Amino acid sequence: MNGVGVIFWREMRGYFTSPYAYLIAAAFLLLAGFFFVSNLWLSVEQTPADPAAIPEFLSFGMIFFAPLLTMRMLAEETREGTMELLLTAPVSDSAIIIGKFLSAWGFYTILLGITASYQIILVNIGAFPDLGKAVAAYIGIWLYGGACLSVGLVYSALTDSQIVAGFLSMATLFLLYLGDNIGLIVADVELARLLRTLTLQGHFSTSFAVGIFRAEDVVFFAGLITAMLFIAIRIVESRRWR
Amino acid sequence: MIEVKELTKRYGNKTAVDRISFSAGAGEILGILGPNGAGKTSTMRMLTGFMPPTDGSATLDGFDIVADSMEVRRRVGYMPERVPLYPDMTVEEYVRFWAKLRGVRRPQKSIEAVLDRVQLLDRRRSLVRSLSKGLKQRLGLAQTLVHNPKVIILDEPTIGIDPQQVIEVRAAVRDLAHNHTVLFSTHILSEAEQVCDRVIILNQGRIVAEGTPAELRQKLYPGDSVFVQIGGVGHAKPEKTLRGINGVKQVQKLAGGYALEAVAGRDIRADVVKRIQQAGWTLLELRPVAVTLEDIFLKIVSREDAEEQAE
Repeated sequence: MNGVGVIFWREMRGYFTSPYAYLIAAAFLLLAGFFFVSNLWLSVEQTPADPAAIPEFLSFGMIFFAPLLTMRMLAEETREGTMELLLTAPVSDSAIIIGKFLSAWGFYTILLGITASYQIILVNIGAFPDLGKAVAAYIGIWLYGGACLSVGLVYSALTDSQIVAGFLSMATLFLLYLGDNIGLIVADVELARLLRTLTLQGHFSTSFAVGIFRAEDVVFFAGLITAMLFIAIRIVESRRWR
Repeated sequence: MIEVKELTKRYGNKTAVDRISFSAGAGEILGILGPNGAGKTSTMRMLTGFMPPTDGSATLDGFDIVADSMEVRRRVGYMPERVPLYPDMTVEEYVRFWAKLRGVRRPQKSIEAVLDRVQLLDRRRSLVRSLSKGLKQRLGLAQTLVHNPKVIILDEPTIGIDPQQVIEVRAAVRDLAHNHTVLFSTHILSEAEQVCDRVIILNQGRIVAEGTPAELRQKLYPGDSVFVQIGGVGHAKPEKTLRGINGVKQVQKLAGGYALEAVAGRDIRADVVKRIQQAGWTLLELRPVAVTLEDIFLKIVSREDAEEQAE
C-alpha cells in the first residue's frame, strides 16, 4: 500500500525525537523492571522464577500505556490541521491508519523486546525459566498490546482532544480487561463463559500466560485489531462526508 | 486545466456552495474573492479531494475529482488557510515527508530546489517550531510546490503575516504562474488586483461576479470617487451644494467629510475645488477613494436584493 511506509517512518521518528515518548518508555521499563525483580525475589525461596511475570504485568499495564502511545496520533493531526493535508495527499485513508498503527505497535515491540532481555538474565543466574512458557506469554502479550493500541487509535480518530481520546480508550480497555468479572455475578454459567470470551483477559490469563498457545486466542486479538482499524478508517473517511 | 460544473456542497440544510461553474486555463491565476463564509474554503476543499461535492462535477487536468481522486491529488498542491505544520520536524524533514508521501522519486533534488525557491535553504536544519510566522508561511508554500503540481490551490495565503512578507508571498504567487495554474482565495480586493489574472466573487455560495479586476471595477464603479473634507461651513449644509457640482452623481456623508462619486469618465476634482472656494469654505482635504472589495461587494449584494424585490 502506497504511503504506509512513509507514514510509519514519520511516526517512528516522532517517537524517537520526542521527550514524551522517552518518558513513557522509561516508566514502562521501570515498572517492568520492578515486577521482574519482585518476582525474582519471590523465586529465591518460594516458587521458580516465572518467565510470564512481565507479560502478566503488561496485561494490566497496557490499559494505561496503550492510550498514552496512541492518543496523540490522529487527534493532534486534526487539531494542527495537518489532517487536511494528509487527506489531500495521494494516499488512501487506510494507508494513513495502518501506517500509524504499525508504528505504535512497532514502538511497543521495541519496548517489549527490551524486557525480553530479562529472560537472558534468568538463564544466566541459573534460574532456568520455562522457555516454552516464555515464548507463548511474549507472543500473547505482543498481540494483546496490538489490540489495546488499535482501540486507542479509534478514539484518537474520533476526537481532536488528546485528553478525551486517552481517557476514553483507558475506560474502554479497563472494561475489556475487567469484563470477565461480570461473569462472577451472572448465574448462568454458559453466559458467564461467553462474556469471558469477549474480554482481553479471557484470551490471555488462562492461555498465553500459562504457556498455552491456542488458535482461538490469536484469532481473537487479530480480529479485534482488524475490527478496530476498520472502524478507525471509517471514522477518518466520515470526515469527508460531514 | 480546471473545469468546474454546477459544483454544490451542502452541510445538512445549509448550502455552502450553490451550483457554481467556472474554469481556469493553464498558467492562469484565478482569484476567488468573497467574505468569510462565502464558500471559498469549501470549494477549494472539494477540488483538492478533501471532501466530495454533494452535486455537480469538476475536473483537474482532465481527471474527475471524485472518480480519479488519487490522480487529482497527485497533480494538486494545496495550502490550507492555517498552514499545517509538524513542529517537531526540521524544515528539510517536513518537506521530505510531503515529497515522499506524494510519490516524488529521488526527492533530495526537488527538496533543495524548492527550499532555495522559498529562501529557506539556510534554515533547513532548524526545527519548524522555531520559525517565525512568515517563514512558516513560506514553508507551507514549499510543501505545496515540492511535487511540482500542475494546479496550486492557496487558501488565503497572506492572512496574519506582516506587510513585507505579504509582498513576498504575492510576488511568489505571481512567479508561480509560469509553470502552474493557481487558484488563490482572498478577501482583499487590491491583492486580487495585483496578483490575479481573473477573479470570481462568491457570496453565500454563489458566483455573483466574474471577470478581470479591471473589468469588475469598470462595470460596477465606472466613475471615480473622491473624498473631501471642508472647513468653515458653519451651520450650512454642504451636501446640496456638492450635489449641484457638474459631473457629481452621488454624495455620501462620511465621518469627517463627504464622498463624491463622479459620472463615468469624468474628473471632477477641479470643479469641486472651485465650487468650495466660491461658497467661501476652506478645502482641508481632497483625495481619491480606492474602491474596495467591500464597496463592490455591497453594491453587488444590494443590486441582487433589488432584483429579487423587482421580481
